[in-house]
Amino acid sequence: MGVLVEFGDRYHPSINAAVLAFDAAFEGRRPAAVIETVPTFRSFLIRFDPLALPFDTLHQLLAEMLESRNWYDSGPPERRRKWVIPAVYGGIRGPDLAEVADLMGLREDQVIDGHAATSFTVAMLGFSPGLAYLGQLPEIWDFPRRTTLNPEVPAGAVLVAVRQTVLPSTPIPTGWRQIARTPFRSFNPRSDTPFLLQPGDQLRFEPVDEAAYAAYSAYDMDALLHEEGA
Amino acid sequence: MSAQGSGLEILSIAPTATIQDRGRVGLLRYGVTSSGAMDDHALAEGQALLGNGRDDAALEFAGAGGRFRAHGTLWLACSGAEMALRVNGTPQRWRQSFRLDGGDIVEIGAVHEGVYGYLHVKGGFQTEMVLGSRSTHQRAGLGHRPAAGQLLPVLPQPADMTPLGLPRSDHFDRRELRLLWGPQSDVFPRAERARLLTAEITVSPRRDRMGMRIELDSGPIHAERGLTIASDAINPGDIQVAGDGTPTVLLADRGSSGGYARIATLASADMAALAQIPAGGVFRFRLVSRDQAVEALARHRRALDSLASKATPVTRDPRDMDDLLSYNLISGVTDGDDLDLD
Repeated sequence: MGVLVEFGDRYHPSINAAVLAFDAAFEGRRPAAVIETVPTFRSFLIRFDPLALPFDTLHQLLAEMLESRNWYDSGPPERRRKWVIPAVYGGIRGPDLAEVADLMGLREDQVIDGHAATSFTVAMLGFSPGLAYLGQLPEIWDFPRRTTLNPEVPAGAVLVAVRQTVLPSTPIPTGWRQIARTPFRSFNPRSDTPFLLQPGDQLRFEPVDEAAYAAYSAYDMDALLHEEGA
Repeated sequence: MSAQGSGLEILSIAPTATIQDRGRVGLLRYGVTSSGAMDDHALAEGQALLGNGRDDAALEFAGAGGRFRAHGTLWLACSGAEMALRVNGTPQRWRQSFRLDGGDIVEIGAVHEGVYGYLHVKGGFQTEMVLGSRSTHQRAGLGHRPAAGQLLPVLPQPADMTPLGLPRSDHFDRRELRLLWGPQSDVFPRAERARLLTAEITVSPRRDRMGMRIELDSGPIHAERGLTIASDAINPGDIQVAGDGTPTVLLADRGSSGGYARIATLASADMAALAQIPAGGVFRFRLVSRDQAVEALARHRRALDSLASKATPVTRDPRDMDDLLSYNLISGVTDGDDLDLD
């Protein structure tokens, strides 16, 4: 059974910060019968065994926690990490860059500069293993997803729409537009640390050329970790 | 034959075949949905028939199975949706454990009833464990993908075991499934929600381990405030309504999050019953309270736990029977006429 705690109905940095702070606080008080928890842009899902933990008991704990403080003025998570992720923009690595430039009324190099100048926060992981939703780009990036689905973009595609960037670690079908590709994979099922990015982590993209892309592909992904702590 | 060389060789296999156990639980926050057997009752049946652990892995098929050859002695059992089962060409009872010797051929043909059938081996198939489970998650590329030519590894097999049988489960007959309203139900007008509860519902052929599209006899569902919301996490059994108004029940291999509004959630206790309704099958929803859904889950778990005690010996070696004539040779789990599988 699941309980959903909703902090808002849209993506907003303060709503997302509230979710991530609540997640961290809940972890410290987590009853044993909680199966798993999922922080998202705007909500916090708790899946639990209702035969081992009565709904009313869990509800009471959540209500008490919600009333204990103003979660919306939470700052960024204490344990967040900072990442610099290499990416090749345009060409075969970013087949939709020209279309995005058209949508924004900018030149391609301006799109690249704007994207690479943005400091992103990992707002949530979801949809497919390790896929990161990154917030938030300036207003001019507020164009919709395509209405038709691209049956497959590769792992490492850098996808944009609705002021967000999406970074999948496995091939996915998508309506988002691909402006770049990174050798970085947040998800490595055979690693001791299979999921590298955590909600709340900070991330920016560094434009690189094909040679650097190829060199990074052989890298240990942990080498892209730029700085521990906030 | 050594344990290393023993196993089940896949001669041919349905494209729907996967390896499934109870699933990869606890990784939803990283975008990994659980996978796991579509019919948890059927998975538990196989464990009961072979004395397996709850987390042992089986082959799951939809619609049809495949042909397999034993390497060394194997103890197998089939469960879930009943399919045409033959061992070396001879029909064999479904829901019964049986022995294969090296070189024996087992063939699992077309489904007779339901959708998902299972082939279990004593100790479970020893395919690769990824993130705590052997379950195949096609979409995420996790777990083993069964294919012709492979030898599925097994644990050393016992020389002898008592073959056990189980009666057919009545979850194949369930055509009234329990439903709860969820956090986004009020995105939908009251009349549309009511229609979900009064409509006769047909399972669409567009269904797989990710989700089942369903069709209301009274037409698509309409939403008041638009059908998309900011993405959040999806529970198994959530019923999302896409732009065209078609509801989809989201299942084991779903995406972990989504932005389509979800009108309601199927009670966990009824997931197995839903999974076994074939395309074109008709059912209805019945609204239950949270307490009723929890009680239904408790009953469902008790039913799974009781399978081991319900499994009964199906054959006896006549040499072990001092008083053969005192046995009633007709009654028991075999009806006598149900061996005519074709």
